[in-house]
Amino acid sequence: MSKHKSIVDPHKIIKDRKDREEKVNLVKAALLDAFFVFYSIVVVQRAVYYKFWLELRELPFSWSEIGAFAILSLAAGALWASSRTSISARLFSIHKDNRITKYSVEIFGWFLFNITFIAGWMITRVSLVDLFTKEGIEGANRIFGSLLSPELGIFDEALFAIIETVYIALVATIVSIPLTLALSFLTARNLMKDNKVQAVVYYFFRVILNFIRSIEPLIWAIVFSVWVGIGPYAGMIALLVHTIASNAKLYSEAIESIEEGPVEAITATGANKFQVIWYAVVPQIVLPFLSFTIYRWDINVRMATIIGLVGGGGIGTMLMQYQGLAKWNEVGLIVIMIAVVVWIMDYVSAKIREAIY
Amino acid sequence: MSLLKIEDLHKIYPNGTHALKGVSLSVEEGEFLVIIGLSGSGKSTLLRSINRLIEPTSGTIEFMGKNITHVHGRELRELKTKIGMVFQQFNLIKRRSVLANVITGKLGSLGTLQSILERFPDSVIEEAKKNLEIVGIPEKADLRADSLSGGQQQRVAIARSLMQNPKLLLADEPVASLDPATSNSVMQYFEKVNKEFGTTVICNLHFLSLVRRYATRVIALKQGEVIYEGQPEEIDEAWFKKIYGEEAEEVEIR
Repeated sequence: MSKHKSIVDPHKIIKDRKDREEKVNLVKAALLDAFFVFYSIVVVQRAVYYKFWLELRELPFSWSEIGAFAILSLAAGALWASSRTSISARLFSIHKDNRITKYSVEIFGWFLFNITFIAGWMITRVSLVDLFTKEGIEGANRIFGSLLSPELGIFDEALFAIIETVYIALVATIVSIPLTLALSFLTARNLMKDNKVQAVVYYFFRVILNFIRSIEPLIWAIVFSVWVGIGPYAGMIALLVHTIASNAKLYSEAIESIEEGPVEAITATGANKFQVIWYAVVPQIVLPFLSFTIYRWDINVRMATIIGLVGGGGIGTMLMQYQGLAKWNEVGLIVIMIAVVVWIMDYVSAKIREAIY
Repeated sequence: MSLLKIEDLHKIYPNGTHALKGVSLSVEEGEFLVIIGLSGSGKSTLLRSINRLIEPTSGTIEFMGKNITHVHGRELRELKTKIGMVFQQFNLIKRRSVLANVITGKLGSLGTLQSILERFPDSVIEEAKKNLEIVGIPEKADLRADSLSGGQQQRVAIARSLMQNPKLLLADEPVASLDPATSNSVMQYFEKVNKEFGTTVICNLHFLSLVRRYATRVIALKQGEVIYEGQPEEIDEAWFKKIYGEEAEEVEIR
């Protein structure tokens, strides 16, 4: 019988792995430090110096200046990280455990936090004066007054519109289930780690789903109202797309957090992948899946009201029309009806989810 | 010819832990081999290398005369059907019935569609019931698995592994989460499987009193190396301290 003696030296494997890890971490730390330095220079120059100190209205900007900062930062980052006393060296655990590291982490960390807050304050143009202008307060009074005396004449119309909204959400949720299921298995790390093909599939779908999810349903509704025409159908597809992307993530996280024991046990009997999933994974995820789905219906009702604003049908479209005509009493009724329905949905979905567990 | 022959087996985990450092051993058919050693000594890793739940880094494993160190795909699944395994945490499917759990032991020889639709041949169901009788709990067949006590759940796990008609039964600290009395009764079922069906058993254990009672041979691991091999009754005070450390003291369980 042919035996292949192994020529692998385990000790060498361990040493090589450590060396490689150390090098990679050093490069990562250098890049991150470079970013921190770059960020500090830019924020201090623009927010603190130009805006706060010189009180300029128009900030000067030039790419060559930014480029010079970047090169300077890269050099500083590389130096700082290789001294092993930087904040990033600490983050990647390759730091020297001494006083210099401690101070540099504390002082620089505090510095970063403060300049970020100052920049944020500048960018959002916080102003207490604007909150208390005479015209502003009068306008607010007018709107709140009208909202609190709703126009009941359009009750029937609003009722039909809100029923449409609830159904848009319901259909989007139901249709999403089978697609979400399939995608969640393909994007669960613990099921897709056996070989390279699986890894490629995993990353492919992860990237696509992340992309879809990062675009809000409101924007999807704009896209689909152009594609299939304004109305409830566009709203439904917009919700559907976003529901699939977000629930696939929740579902796959549920799959990733299952107990590994049964998976190991069923695998050990010689079962194939489908059998392992059916017997060891599925029973553990049925309840969380149901719970997520019901919760999502509730979220979708809320979103469906917003989606109407851009032509996704339902109560939102109606709200948009009356708001455009500045009929605040009608808007008042619609807002109250939305609040009531959302509250009911919230309550019902919470009760159902409680009952499941 | 030995049933199982392991030579110079190494396992290095991705985090750099060197769990097995050149383990060599062979197991004859019909043996009840017990592996002892502290937590982290590599017992579980060794067991999981045998049915290839984990991939060894280097070395060779021969099972029934065949090099199985690097088999994969269908061949690997076929290998696994011949080796039963019982775990410390039982690893049953909690929400399913006891009978369904036992039947899962047969999945390796059932078709995918058939098993997903759960249409099992009557012969398989009969076999499952028979195996539940062997472990003494036929009346629990329709109960949910997690409604059973720990000892009973472990017996279900044994019945599940019997569905495979295994040549070799691996048990990874099967009684470590059970109380002493239950431990002994569960161990008796392993003994029964070993004596009545001639199934070779490799079992990780902690308690020396159980080792002396059930093992036909003992191997001790320390930091990934075999430091003792011999008869259970030969483990004296000196060996005990060598295996478990100077501060260890033997506790009796009966």
